[in-house]
Amino acid sequence: MADKNIKVHVEHLKKNFGKLEVLKNISVDIEEGEVVVLLGPSGSGKSTFLRCLNQLEHATAGTIIVDGHDVTDKHTDINKVRENIGMVFQHFNLFPHKTVLQNIMLAPVELKKMTKEEAEEKGMRLLARVGMDDKADAFPSQLSGGQKQRVAIARALAMNPDIMLFDEPTSALDPEMVGEVLNVMKELAAEGMTMAVVTHEIGFAREVADRIIFMDGGYIVEQGTPDEVILHPKEARTQDFLNKVL
Amino acid sequence: MGVIISSYGKLLLASMGQTLLLTLLSLIFAMIVGFIFALMNVGKNRLFNFIGTVYVDAVRGVPLIVLAYFIYFGVPSGVNMLTGSSDFKLTALQAGTIALAMNCGAYMAEIIRAGIESVDKGQMEASRSLGLSYGKSMRLVVLPQAIRTMVPSIINQFIITLKDTSILSVIGFPELTNMGKTIVGSTFKSLQTWAIVGIMYMIVIVTLSKIAKRVERRINRGR
Repeated sequence: MADKNIKVHVEHLKKNFGKLEVLKNISVDIEEGEVVVLLGPSGSGKSTFLRCLNQLEHATAGTIIVDGHDVTDKHTDINKVRENIGMVFQHFNLFPHKTVLQNIMLAPVELKKMTKEEAEEKGMRLLARVGMDDKADAFPSQLSGGQKQRVAIARALAMNPDIMLFDEPTSALDPEMVGEVLNVMKELAAEGMTMAVVTHEIGFAREVADRIIFMDGGYIVEQGTPDEVILHPKEARTQDFLNKVL
Repeated sequence: MGVIISSYGKLLLASMGQTLLLTLLSLIFAMIVGFIFALMNVGKNRLFNFIGTVYVDAVRGVPLIVLAYFIYFGVPSGVNMLTGSSDFKLTALQAGTIALAMNCGAYMAEIIRAGIESVDKGQMEASRSLGLSYGKSMRLVVLPQAIRTMVPSIINQFIITLKDTSILSVIGFPELTNMGKTIVGSTFKSLQTWAIVGIMYMIVIVTLSKIAKRVERRINRGR
């Protein structure tokens, strides 16, 4: 296996919102099949970093290469690149006017990746995988938060992405629903999906992450294996953060 | 009253037909105008934003009666001055439709814009993150949700436009109010005539708003 295959290459990424510098100078590579968890206090730029990867936020400066495509280049067809980058949001963002299955089928059918029949079959398979196949015809408003998020994961997977971005996927959930979503993510990681996850679930990070990146104030403060970062943090800011959350 | 109904009933009904025709035509064009300018306003293109804002402000800043005069008298005279002839003319129906469509279109643009902006921006982001283009995301994800919140305001605007057709009596369009003037002119029965005209408007508008309420309820049922 080409486990040194770089999926995401970020170099000197800067992002400003007006005068506010949210990302100051971020350089990082993510390898194929790697699960990277981004930790850090709120406002540290984790979510913004994630959103820069699929250009929901446009980088102010720097280069981001995903799957060999320079997404910061204006000539890149960003829609094409996004087809290969699934994203899961804190607030699920399911389409409320469509059923669960229609949510999943929309993009593959509209982008002519699959016929209606193929998309439906694939949709049902994905729903079975996240344990939601009995709700295929339900509307999002009829689902619990955990169920919504599992559907949102299935929706992102329907495009056969080779990278998945998770932006605080469990932060809006009631505590008893966090586990069901994390389990789906664990399975996905075990299957070799390349993942970048912003989360506050330290337990999940320890168990699943290949690498943890700790961010603060728009910089990467330190990174390494879960053992290195969580159990033996070198930097004072990391220690401080972990003391507060653990 | 009976006299007026028996001798002018048919004419009154015919002029009500003209009122409805003018309303319908104006609304169709107003929807188109409204969508175009609303999309200009919600997009990120600064030039389009500017054009959209100027249009809405300009049209909302001019009374409909002035707009109607401008289009019916002003525009043809300007065109003829430029071409050096006197051939260009607008019928009262054409000018009336343009004036009303422009006017109603500006309000419609604001209603549609507000509707689009009421949809959580996460919807657009989720759609874009799947690889759908801005246009497709707008059409398939945002607008279907926006329309639900827009329906009550659009219906309200329809009713306002129907009433505004009466203003176009000033350019001689044979709609209901104009007919009322004609009847008063020949019978001198102001009270009866305007009462009848008023009641006619009321019947149509109340009927329409009842239908509209039904439609609104149906749309919201699936929510």
